[in-house]
Amino acid sequence: MAREIVAELVDLSIPKFAAGCRWGGTAEAPVVLFPEGAIRVEGTGRIILELCDGHFSLAEIVQKLEAQFMLAPKGKVRADVQTFLEQLHAKRIIDY
Amino acid sequence: MTQRSNPLALIAEITHRCPLHCVYCSNPLELISRPEELATADWLRVFREASALGVLHLHLTGGEPLSRPDLAAMIEGARKSRLYTNLITSGIGLSLERLTQLVESGLDHIQLSFQDSGEDQANWIAGARAHAHKLELAGWIRDLRPPIAFTTNLVVHRQNIGHLEEMIAALEALHPDRMEIAHAQYYGWALQNRSALLPTRAQLDRAVAVVAAAEERLRGKVRIDMVIPDYHARFPKACMGGWGRQLLLIDPAGRALPCHAAGVIPGMRFDNVREHTLDWIWQNSDAFQKFRGEDWMPEPCRSCDRRQEDFGGCRCQAFLLTGDASATDPVCELAPLHHIVEDAVREDATPGSTPEAREAPFHVLQEQMAGFWSYRTDPK
Repeated sequence: MAREIVAELVDLSIPKFAAGCRWGGTAEAPVVLFPEGAIRVEGTGRIILELCDGHFSLAEIVQKLEAQFMLAPKGKVRADVQTFLEQLHAKRIIDY
Repeated sequence: MTQRSNPLALIAEITHRCPLHCVYCSNPLELISRPEELATADWLRVFREASALGVLHLHLTGGEPLSRPDLAAMIEGARKSRLYTNLITSGIGLSLERLTQLVESGLDHIQLSFQDSGEDQANWIAGARAHAHKLELAGWIRDLRPPIAFTTNLVVHRQNIGHLEEMIAALEALHPDRMEIAHAQYYGWALQNRSALLPTRAQLDRAVAVVAAAEERLRGKVRIDMVIPDYHARFPKACMGGWGRQLLLIDPAGRALPCHAAGVIPGMRFDNVREHTLDWIWQNSDAFQKFRGEDWMPEPCRSCDRRQEDFGGCRCQAFLLTGDASATDPVCELAPLHHIVEDAVREDATPGSTPEAREAPFHVLQEQMAGFWSYRTDPK
């Protein structure tokens, strides 16, 4: 019955939507729905969350983003993705 | 003309019937009976209209929503209308089979109420033997695969605030994703029982510190949302996110209200979803126009820097405490009638102003404390 919640986000972690969190809204204006709230996600946030489908590790997500943002300083993409996912983890929207 | 946003959440009070009799129930004192309840098809239409209006979240509540045998059909209809569906329940009447059926119908989130950590005291507050079943149900919810979101809701007040740490620890053991720690709000049955329920300032301060420590300890494991009792606050709450701004509530008989308690305000006319579409009601219903925007505001709200933050506070509370629904919420320290709240706190929320329950078996508590508070009744 007890659940293992690994609270540390590392390269091999696979970020995914927490229980009861899912996409909603419309194709033009997608939102992430969770208990008692919703967030509108656009741009990079949306790209990251679309990759949080249980198929990609943090390292793979970072790699895909780095390929898109080639001019970003080294390490910046990883730091930004990490902060973004950790914030959503604290809100129990993303698990890893 | 006031600029209208679209509603984000629909609170569907699908019945007022309930096997629990909680002394702080937010339902009105005059409950709606079963024959007056809306039919399934009406609710499904309301859900479609809500979704078209931009509503994202549906909160199925009551009374006890499980009292409606068509609950699974409602959840299925809500999901087909693309609503995020939350069931707010006491859990009484929910077998493992029915839980599975509700989840298979598309339920996203279940919010299970707890009255206390100790069985006898929990049952005493609920006026029913409910606690043991809730614990069993929590295990079933957590074992669901795939999981759904699980919130435990705990109402805090004078009679249980003294052991908040124990209650949080007991709920933590149920592995919820989220805990709501909500101090009783003084409307309906809670206002009736306020002198038994309102905590002292010192108790509240301690409770806030306890919750802050729990939040820190449980970060990333359990999200904690706290609601404080506004009688002890300096400024009023942004009730319902502002009147007619984000939320609408449909009562069991189909009347559309801007909030749970709006029925207490005299002279209000509530339109019914049997006669109007939700879109028409949101745009045109007198009840939703009444306190929308800032035109209704008296001073000091009208020129207050905080009017965009708290929207003048709660209209129902203003009426219940001052007799004038347009008055500044008397919770506000700037309100001309703030002394009403100060007097209430002095009378009801000082050490020794009311007995505090001790540990005793359920029947002993009920016998010894008979007449201490009024239990919520049940409609036919």
